[in-house]
Amino acid sequence: MPTRILIVEDSPLVTDAFRVLFTAVGYEVDAATTVAEGIERAMSAPVDMMLLDLSLPDGNGLEILQELRKRGFLPRSTLAMTGHNDSASRRSCLEAGCADVLLKPVPIAELLRQIERHLA
Amino acid sequence: MSMSDRVGSAPKKRLKTLKAQAEEAQRTIDELRARDALKTQFLSNVSHDLRTPLAAIITHAEILRDGMLGDLNPKQRDSVSGIVSGGQQLIDMIDEILTYVRSASDQVTLTRTDFDITELVDQVRMLNQALAAKKHLTIERLNGDDLPPVYADRDKVKHVLGNLIGNAIKFTSDGGRVWIGFSRRGRDRDELVVEVGDNGRGIARDHYELVFREFAQVDASPSRPHHGTGLGLAIARNLVELHSGTIWVESELGKGSRFFFTLPLNPPRD
Repeated sequence: MPTRILIVEDSPLVTDAFRVLFTAVGYEVDAATTVAEGIERAMSAPVDMMLLDLSLPDGNGLEILQELRKRGFLPRSTLAMTGHNDSASRRSCLEAGCADVLLKPVPIAELLRQIERHLA
Repeated sequence: MSMSDRVGSAPKKRLKTLKAQAEEAQRTIDELRARDALKTQFLSNVSHDLRTPLAAIITHAEILRDGMLGDLNPKQRDSVSGIVSGGQQLIDMIDEILTYVRSASDQVTLTRTDFDITELVDQVRMLNQALAAKKHLTIERLNGDDLPPVYADRDKVKHVLGNLIGNAIKFTSDGGRVWIGFSRRGRDRDELVVEVGDNGRGIARDHYELVFREFAQVDASPSRPHHGTGLGLAIARNLVELHSGTIWVESELGKGSRFFFTLPLNPPRD
């Protein structure tokens, strides 16, 4: 089965760019733009990797992780993506269960490497 | 009308006028503060909103550059690489503006930990190594192996060091030297002085203050050889002052500059 990636990101421009990238490497791509939609998509089919933007229109992306944990639908791995990488927000991401925190824009080589590493 | 009323009326009137003027002045100050806060918020929002589409552009360009949608010929690859590096430079400038806005407003808080500042300096030296190598510059750390840990916000001190070392590299010509040194001062030697020096073009005495002012560049003409937001040293100043430290420069035109900042070694614990 192909690797299934869920992109949770409120900017369609960024999602589109990732969609092109992940489709090119053969991943199956799903996307959500809000906390509510993220939870719904993650529960609709098992997710290998969730890419999580932190500032979403209806709340903090980390709420998705909390909710999925409660409901028993955690993805295999989650990478947080943020515009400002200060150590405080980094800590809260790791505590919430993210495998790592990446600073946007993540160079694609780095992004693909991280995904492979955390799914290995 | 009684005698006392007539004597008192002129000063009373004067007092009333003064009070009204003071209130008016206060209203103006409040209004200006509110407008300044609005402008800061606007700058912060715009910077953030500029970042998102730019990130998408860079990702698309990288996908093309790395041949993920098919091979490019060398000329095409060079051109697309130019989009990536131009975009990256813009992102860096936007981040600089965001950092400045945050450091200048009340939103910023320090997260202090104990850390080894020489290790941090070495890390920032490593990060700047490629840039320095391009200009055949050396970046040395002169001393500091026996320093006690510093209790400060590591990310912010790293930013200060990054800005000072980055500037030193930028304004020093090929084959020059950049160095970082430490000393201690104060009654109990409880103030650490960090020096970032270079033997570059230097700064005229008249400009010592100007270089720390936001958006200020000694040469602000459009044809100036060194571009940037002009915020690097203003940010460094704000971040140092947040730590109750001070920052200053000593320089001589044509000989080089020495930037200094202080950090209290034993600040009150949170």
